[in-house]
Amino acid sequence: MTSRARVLSGFAVFGLALFFFPAFQEAMELPRFYVIFLLSIFFWIAQASSWNILTGFSGYFSFGQGAWFGIGVYSVAVLAGKHGWPFIAAVPVGGLLALVGGLALGLVVFRLRMLGGEIFALTTLAIAFVLAALARLTSAIDGGTGTFMTGTPIPEFLGEFNTAMYRMTLVVMLLTVLAAYLIYDSRLGWGLFAIRDDEAVAGGLGIPAFRYKMVALGVNAFFAGLMGGVWALQIGFVTVEEVFNIRVPLFVILMSILGGMRHWMGPVVGAIIIFTLSDRLNSAGLTDVNQIIIGSLLVILTLAVKEGIYMRMRDRWLTTLISMVGVMTIMAVFGLTTSLITGFAVAMVVTVTILLVPDRLWDRVRRGSDGGGGPPVEDGAMAEAGR
Amino acid sequence: MDLLVQGIVTGVLIGGLYALMSIGLSLSWGALKIINLAHFSFILLSAYLVYQLAISFSVNPLLLTLVVVPLFFVIGALMQVLIHRAKLDEFKSLIVTFGLFIILQSMIQTIWSADFRRIGSEVNVFEGGSIRLGDITLPYPVLLAFIASVAIAVAMSLVLSRTYFGKAVRAVAQDAEMARAFGIDPNRVAVLLSGVATAISALAGVFIAIGQALWPGLAVSWFGIVFPVVILGGLGNTMGALTAGVMVGVAAGVASVVWGPISAPLVTFVILIAALLFRPHGLITARSVA
Repeated sequence: MTSRARVLSGFAVFGLALFFFPAFQEAMELPRFYVIFLLSIFFWIAQASSWNILTGFSGYFSFGQGAWFGIGVYSVAVLAGKHGWPFIAAVPVGGLLALVGGLALGLVVFRLRMLGGEIFALTTLAIAFVLAALARLTSAIDGGTGTFMTGTPIPEFLGEFNTAMYRMTLVVMLLTVLAAYLIYDSRLGWGLFAIRDDEAVAGGLGIPAFRYKMVALGVNAFFAGLMGGVWALQIGFVTVEEVFNIRVPLFVILMSILGGMRHWMGPVVGAIIIFTLSDRLNSAGLTDVNQIIIGSLLVILTLAVKEGIYMRMRDRWLTTLISMVGVMTIMAVFGLTTSLITGFAVAMVVTVTILLVPDRLWDRVRRGSDGGGGPPVEDGAMAEAGR
Repeated sequence: MDLLVQGIVTGVLIGGLYALMSIGLSLSWGALKIINLAHFSFILLSAYLVYQLAISFSVNPLLLTLVVVPLFFVIGALMQVLIHRAKLDEFKSLIVTFGLFIILQSMIQTIWSADFRRIGSEVNVFEGGSIRLGDITLPYPVLLAFIASVAIAVAMSLVLSRTYFGKAVRAVAQDAEMARAFGIDPNRVAVLLSGVATAISALAGVFIAIGQALWPGLAVSWFGIVFPVVILGGLGNTMGALTAGVMVGVAAGVASVVWGPISAPLVTFVILIAALLFRPHGLITARSVA
């Protein structure tokens, strides 16, 4: 089986298993909260993965995730919430409008001249604020009053509200991650990586940098908008403050940096870890502390993590497995927690901490436990072969 | 018509405050290649400290300049020491200071809550006071800020062009390694400059505490004011920042009169995007740093 077939069948297996989880939850009488928890994770995986297609692959740092997300939310809020469009029809419009917005920005920014990365970053930061001000000013969009989404019906074949939300976020999440993987594993992906490493050289090698960057930005905006459209229902009462705040860009940046921006799986892993952690802190009533921890993590991870936690997991998969299973077993046996998610969160924090041990120290610890270990030359050769 | 003239005059004065808020960021970006997003929280933190000290000890808030300016000089210098240790480039500085921004914002929100805070008029002698010139009113808080801003912009511009320290800053901004070869310690220059930049931000915080009600969301709203001023003024150009500050102030002031105050952010952010895309090196091409 080729590597691509293996990944794609992995997608199919995971997708199917997750698709039937709500039925499983009902049959097993597990807490309803699990479904909501999972659909929130799907939302963040899609946001982080789509952001990473532009920023992780091409290296153009974007603060604009909130803008694309917001276009999606407001498209649905206006079309379905105010004008009575069917929800299912409004969601793709959200994605398409975000795509148009992304391409319009790209046309200006990427065409104008070789703008520095920091100018691109600040422009994307400003876009979200312009959209927020526009929404607040225009009564056809928001006008500062907010829009109730509670009257918008969801198609019956999707099931009751939580199940329907679960299925829709799952599908959009799978599509987004699939897009990230397919781009990563293609000519386009290699081109974007070349642009990230050195745009001038990439151009010299015949990579159509402008077109590739436009595609990356467009895909990013489209999926962010699509998920935003679905999320409009989850928000319930859509306001400018709720949509265009700093939370979405902050979280996707943090998730991708933690998970690793050089691999399509990085943001997936990062989103699971960060959302679980943040959710546990919130439910423990530590909302303010939560923000402080999130900010500190961003600082520490930017300074400390070079390639992201996902690559470390792959290199030390046995350690990861032992640590996750071990901590959760210990917590279950000693009755330290009744909540599966809390156990999972604690296990993840422990595992991430172990994985963050720098390579040099790691090698020394391992060699110590092996009783001396091999000479350093052999280590180097093995590391080389491992890649 | 009078309303429009008043809008322009207020815009010019507020533009002074905008410049004062921007000079610190402009200096650190231009000379140190650090885009300091925490800058916005520093201004707000300084304003909240002034508020807290003024109401706790019933002191004239303007006197508290003597407390917050040295304090933030030290904070800025310390931050630069840490940034130097971590070897951040322009890009990573953006992410790390974004994290710092989030931390400071939630600290401010935890300590002072999301409610509006204002120094009461029994302590704030400037509250409501103004000079009248015919039909035009010049409120004390913005007038003071404008004067301070002109003074700081001129002083910093002179320091950068005339003194040894200024020469060292320009040398480091151009080529840190070459400056080192000529006997300048780039790190010392950077630490000193970062301290000065943060101290100027603290001064801006004093005038904000005197002039308006404080709430945590202010820092984010300043993005749309400070960044256009910094970019249009030219990185590291303090006189340019003053000019650009007045321009942005007038634009926002006129917009408030014509389309209502809620439109001001839209106008300044559109200016920002136009500035980023079309004049990323400033309106005035001659630059004093970098």
